[in-house]
Amino acid sequence: MQASRARLFKEYKEVQREKVADPDIQLVCDDSNIFKWTALIKGPSETPYEGGVFQLAFSVPEQYPLQPPQVRFLTKIFHPNVHFKTGEICLDILKNAWSPAWTLQSVCRAIIALMAHPEPDSPLNCDSGNLLRSGDVRGFQSMAKMYTRLAAMPKKG
Amino acid sequence: MVYDSIANASIPTAASNSKDFGKKKRVNRTAKLKQSKLDVRREQWLSQVKNRGFKEETKATRVTKMAAPETHAATEREHSIVKLEISVGGEENESLMNNYSDSESPSNSPTSHTSSVSESNISVTNFTGSSSRSSCGSSSSSGDCCSGSMTDEEDDEDDGCLDDWEAIADALAAADDIQKSPVDEHPLTPPEPEQPVLTPAGSTNFRAWRPDDVSRPQSLPNLVKQNSFPMKSGSSAFPSSCPICCEDLDMTDSSFLPCPCGYRLCLFCHKRILEDNGRCPGCRKQYESHGNAASSKLGRCHSMNPSCH
Repeated sequence: MQASRARLFKEYKEVQREKVADPDIQLVCDDSNIFKWTALIKGPSETPYEGGVFQLAFSVPEQYPLQPPQVRFLTKIFHPNVHFKTGEICLDILKNAWSPAWTLQSVCRAIIALMAHPEPDSPLNCDSGNLLRSGDVRGFQSMAKMYTRLAAMPKKG
Repeated sequence: MVYDSIANASIPTAASNSKDFGKKKRVNRTAKLKQSKLDVRREQWLSQVKNRGFKEETKATRVTKMAAPETHAATEREHSIVKLEISVGGEENESLMNNYSDSESPSNSPTSHTSSVSESNISVTNFTGSSSRSSCGSSSSSGDCCSGSMTDEEDDEDDGCLDDWEAIADALAAADDIQKSPVDEHPLTPPEPEQPVLTPAGSTNFRAWRPDDVSRPQSLPNLVKQNSFPMKSGSSAFPSSCPICCEDLDMTDSSFLPCPCGYRLCLFCHKRILEDNGRCPGCRKQYESHGNAASSKLGRCHSMNPSCH
């Protein structure tokens, strides 16, 4: 409990310092609860998510950092490893490959990497996974681009 | 290099002093004997400068007083060289102190070092300048000889110092020969300033120099400075707090290396990881190979230090 607070406070200070260093990640802590964080990440370039801004919700357990934070997409995203309705993310470092050496910031980086390199063999979004597994990359990209434009880009007009 | 030049510049004055006082004119002494004697003398005035606060003033005033009458020119020369040496010694010690304080300053950057070097260079030039001036005032021939050899000394840095000692010794011997009789008229005056020189030497010779000692010879290596570098790099190489729980690492934690990958963490977090999945946070390998040793060490730590919990 105290350890997780101290650790999160240190990460908070680190984030304040590194805000300029990583322009793709904006990590903010809830005003009243240090165990609730939200992050805004930019879709990586040369992917169908380019140009979109995706919101993530972090729920940090009290056993953190021995237990991984729970992360989900608040922004709709068409991705094989993200549940389309709940935003749940299938990422090994958020499950069994978690290490206490990871931070919330590094989790954000891992999620950006996952957006650039989807893993269709363990899909949470079966439609997306099936498109990629059948080799229809163009179909996947157009769907993902459409949802990025619908959900992750500022509305025009 | 600069410290050497200071030391070398100081030795001739000591040489003149010992040469004047030892009125046996054995010019053909071996260089080795001379050097040992000069070293002792140098130690003496280095330790003497501790009391220089009042001594220097009185000597200085006496120098000016005695420079006025023309009749006792020879004894004046004797005195003024002695006083000159003391006052110059004080002045030089100031520069030494400046150097020392520079080297003691918290920033161990090379720039501060160069600044101290330049400062000491300046002080050396001041030293020769003042000595030539005052010695010119008191007596022309030997004073010029003295200052001239001193500037030579400064140019030759360290190699030619022994030769210069010889030159000074010869020059002073010649000067003594010329003014032998006035020196003998006042046989008691030279030992008078020598006695306070000898007493501190006896007390200070056999004790070690403290690093903050004012009269510490600058030629001694500065251990504090040398130690500060590895200490600094060492503290930056290891994390001061546990990367998992962000608590400060104590002595036991700092020497605790649970995984060959080198990932450090506190014993408390290590125990919690062992209870959980037992994998190193740094490399994800199982701790099990070191598990037994680590857990026994862990138990001992916890029994010793309940503040871990």
